[in-house]
Amino acid sequence: MDLARPDRRERLDRLAAEYALGTLPGLARRRLDRLARDDRTVAEALREWEARLSGLADGLRPVTPPPRLWTAIQRQLGLTGAKAEPSGWTSRLGLWRGFAIASFLAALVLGVLRLVEPPTSGQAPLVVVLAGPDARPVMVATAQRGQPFLTLKTVAPATPGAGRAFQLWALPQGGNPRSLGVLPAAEVVQVRLAAPADQVLAQVPALAVSLEPAGGSPTGLPTGPVLFTGRVERMY
Amino acid sequence: MASRPQAEDALSAEPSPSARGDARNAALVGLLAQVGLGNQKAFEAFYARTSPHMYAVAVRILRDAATAEEILQEIYVSVWHHAGSYDATRSQPLTWLTSIVRNRCLDQLRRRELDTVTLTPDDEDAAEIELPSGAPSPAELLLAGAEAQSVRDCVETLEAGQKQAIALAFFHGLSHGELATQMREPLGTVKSWVRRGMEKLKRCLDQAGYARSSR
Repeated sequence: MDLARPDRRERLDRLAAEYALGTLPGLARRRLDRLARDDRTVAEALREWEARLSGLADGLRPVTPPPRLWTAIQRQLGLTGAKAEPSGWTSRLGLWRGFAIASFLAALVLGVLRLVEPPTSGQAPLVVVLAGPDARPVMVATAQRGQPFLTLKTVAPATPGAGRAFQLWALPQGGNPRSLGVLPAAEVVQVRLAAPADQVLAQVPALAVSLEPAGGSPTGLPTGPVLFTGRVERMY
Repeated sequence: MASRPQAEDALSAEPSPSARGDARNAALVGLLAQVGLGNQKAFEAFYARTSPHMYAVAVRILRDAATAEEILQEIYVSVWHHAGSYDATRSQPLTWLTSIVRNRCLDQLRRRELDTVTLTPDDEDAAEIELPSGAPSPAELLLAGAEAQSVRDCVETLEAGQKQAIALAFFHGLSHGELATQMREPLGTVKSWVRRGMEKLKRCLDQAGYARSSR
């Protein structure tokens, strides 16, 4: 249904009003959300109605939230006054969800690698199978232990979209994510690392890919949604 | 609807509600800009100034303090990460934040309607703060400066049924079915109250905006 057409404007206006008010049933709500993402006319209609109604909420008597809310926010972000949760980022991402499947697939991938690349003495690979919340593999990263490179192969359709880019992050144990670089749009990408892979990924249990503006995150930490994650499997 | 006389504002010793609102929003815009640069003190101040209001909104819709806290935590963490891309020309900070809180709470309420919840990439995105793209429409520019008093004045002009239905829906997140139950009226009646009430609100606000801009 193309809500942007002139004859549909009235219907869009009515739907947008009910969206902003809150009476739209769940399915219709989510459908309108999705439409608003791609269609500016729809997005504007929603914003106009939200702006109209927002003044109503001003009349509410404020209620100070309990102090534990601020403590929880500080802790999650690792801000001063509170120690960062060791698994703050990992628990937030639900990292271990679907890992059983991902690990099994990692083992499969390693098996394939062994067939394809006869092991060279002194070398042993690292493998990361990056998957979304449904545990379907989207990218596979491999590295040789002593080499400062990570090879990233896209195995399922995944594009960042116009004006955006994927960025790869190392998720160290008990610290903030560390950028490994913005990924160019290509099926196979070689990521240059600052040091041999086993050093760069020491104490790093997992990698993640987030959606950022083109050129990468301006802040040095992920600013967009984390789309894919994977555990680092070391075969040494 | 009579628009507020300008002379009254000029003569009163207290700043008018719109001036207070403007000052408050200007302060919040400044704080958000600082938060975008990673200033923790600014973030703490932003939280202190806005969270009581947001908590009130969330608790009213969710009727559950624990979920309200979870959602607010998620939202303020997102504010920390996304403050850098907040655009003050698009909407006032309180409007922006109130929309986010209301939308997340309503999504939460409506999600409970489903028998099975399957996470698709779209649903994951819906949990993120999506900031509008593109130039603001003329109506948005007009409404960006609308005083809170305008919409409250306009709500006062509604019929009793329309006003009550809209208030229950807005403040408590009631669906049409829940409105019908709560108000002990047929579904068709409450739907019509909501629809006519919203149409009337829009006409009233458009008039108020026009009256202000022509001063």
